[in-house]
Amino acid sequence: MRRGTFVRWGVPIAAAAVIGAAIGAGPVVAAVSGDPVLPERSAQQLLADAAAAVEKTEGPLPMSGTVQQTASLGLPALPQTGSAGPLSLLSGSHEIKVWYGEGDKLRVAMPTQMNETNLIVDGDQAWYFDSATNTATKILFDPGARPDDMAEHAPQEMTPQAAAEKVLAQADEHTAVSVTNTAEVAGRPAYQLVLKPKDAGSLVEEVRLALDGENFVPLQVQVFAKGSAEPAFQVGFTQVTFTPPAPENFTFTPPPGAKVEEKKLTAPKKEELSEAHAEEARKAAEDVKIVGDGWTSVAVLPATLSDLKAQGGEEAQGGEEAQGEDGPRFGDEADPAALIETVLKSATPVSGPWGSGKLITTKLATVLLTDDGRLLVGAVTPEEITKAAGVR
Amino acid sequence: MSTAETTTGSAAETAQTATRTARQPRRTPGLVPVAETLSTAERRTPEPAPPGLPPPVRRPGAFWRLLGSELGLTFRRPRNLAMLAVVGAVPILVGVALRMVGGGDDDGMGGMIASVAGNSLMLTFVSFSFLTLLLMPVAVAVVGGDSIAGEAGAGTLRYLLAAPAGRTRLLAVKFLNVVVYGYAVTAVVALSALVTGLLLFPAGDVTLLSGTTVPLTDGLLRIALSVGYIGAGMAALGAVAVALSTFTEVPVGAIAGTVVAVVVCQVLRAIPDLAPLEPYLLPARFTSFDSVLRDPIDTGTLLDGLSVFGAYTVLSLSVAWARFTGKDITS
Repeated sequence: MRRGTFVRWGVPIAAAAVIGAAIGAGPVVAAVSGDPVLPERSAQQLLADAAAAVEKTEGPLPMSGTVQQTASLGLPALPQTGSAGPLSLLSGSHEIKVWYGEGDKLRVAMPTQMNETNLIVDGDQAWYFDSATNTATKILFDPGARPDDMAEHAPQEMTPQAAAEKVLAQADEHTAVSVTNTAEVAGRPAYQLVLKPKDAGSLVEEVRLALDGENFVPLQVQVFAKGSAEPAFQVGFTQVTFTPPAPENFTFTPPPGAKVEEKKLTAPKKEELSEAHAEEARKAAEDVKIVGDGWTSVAVLPATLSDLKAQGGEEAQGGEEAQGEDGPRFGDEADPAALIETVLKSATPVSGPWGSGKLITTKLATVLLTDDGRLLVGAVTPEEITKAAGVR
Repeated sequence: MSTAETTTGSAAETAQTATRTARQPRRTPGLVPVAETLSTAERRTPEPAPPGLPPPVRRPGAFWRLLGSELGLTFRRPRNLAMLAVVGAVPILVGVALRMVGGGDDDGMGGMIASVAGNSLMLTFVSFSFLTLLLMPVAVAVVGGDSIAGEAGAGTLRYLLAAPAGRTRLLAVKFLNVVVYGYAVTAVVALSALVTGLLLFPAGDVTLLSGTTVPLTDGLLRIALSVGYIGAGMAALGAVAVALSTFTEVPVGAIAGTVVAVVVCQVLRAIPDLAPLEPYLLPARFTSFDSVLRDPIDTGTLLDGLSVFGAYTVLSLSVAWARFTGKDITS
């Protein structure tokens, strides 16, 4: 080979190197500059600071950013829903944009190819706009209802704030809690609260919750399943700015030509809230039984195959969604019966001294549908769930 | 002993040389043996310029004149004009079809049909979302893949290089030619869709994907933005085609190679397990032009797309340059 050839081909190789460096610049820069080190804090201090920060600002801080949600729950492939709805968040990777305004203003947008779904909450009214169907749904809250209920419930699985609250609520004596101060999320130094279940029967390896180092806003939640290095579920900001977003984001007038629907959301009043909750819990306790406690608790509810098909897709989703309360669902979803069909197809028949049934395992949850009409759901290993099935 | 052998050896050699010299004129008629390649030429010390002849002076406009003649050739070639006509016809077809479908019942209208029926400008974006998948890349691949390989295949490359233009300049001219054609394709689609839309559907305020309504002028501005973005994407694809074109003397090979690469990328995008790969695929970025239809405009996605286009362009052109400047031109 001649020297000239080497020199010439050096140019594209250099170009490739530069491009490769640009792609890997983030990690490299982080490695060179070292991990961001925040003053050390214990888990308690951190939570207290976070709580204080929330109280000071009275609600979410005005901010905007891009949230990326990745779920690899090990679910069987879901049928294509066609329209992008909250259900599509169950598998794959999704990007949503969020804007938090002063007070009760919130906008959540989910951009997809040539389409976009928007949820705009301003005070006691909200709009849900789906460009695919060109439908604008006006959601009215009952007078007296707390409007920020909406902000808390609707984007339940989407915003780090809501997801973080959920994780915090679960932390108790079954969990080993530790804090690292070297994490970085969306280019911001962050504290990471690591929650590790002590029980070996749990499918969850650990839950990591990242809080912003400056104003303690939850930036990222990761749920790691046992035996996998990548998080099974992750929701977090990939880009975030703590400046109040433009007010245009929170105003919405239905575009001309759009179908306008109205929905009334009857949220319970504040004073009735605890009462309603208690009643609900009493009612639920009648059919739902919890076996075990902490991370290995298994919910047992009466259900048969035909029930399930009639009832809808909620139970079939498994994972933590089944444990959490379902937020209000908007728009047209996939046919629930078809969904259940697909999920059940992947179920493996199992039997034991407790009887027999169909077992569905995912990375984070195990679902057992027994032939004698019980549905068991838990974030536990199949052994644990069959153990729970033996408990009458 | 040794003397004798040497003598015989040299005698034999002389005989051989004699036969070779004698045989030489009897080679296949019409073919001139290549006595000098680029490599031998490089090894040789350059001869001093013959006295009397002044070194060729490069006139400043030479580059642009070369580009002008190249563009003239491209836009006069019936094949290229036919491709422009085809991509220009698609928006008309889509518009007429949507008009006929949307005219009937108002109830079953999907979002896309509804948005087009509601506003003429939306036809441009709908057409782009169809055409950027395959048809526009194919048109650009044909011109890009033909750029160097076409000249080589037709035997005209050596004459082009005989002019004191230099290979780097020729490559630059060929690439710019593809860029102009790519933008022409994009502009033809936009204009055809705009005219069709204005004729068939009501004009007025534009409803964005986010549900916000913006005035007509803002909508036109957004069309201009998307034309700029898609044109840059087509230029990047053109660079890939030009790079492939320097590796072959068969233009169809380079064209097919580029088109196959586009199709493979589209297939890869459809596989959910390969989602992490998607941000790095060039055709996956073409469709991000819908960012201009959001409120506020998603500049982050657009800039990401442009940087991917830039990366593909730089890498492909440097490969093309490395290959083309070191290539032996044999046809």
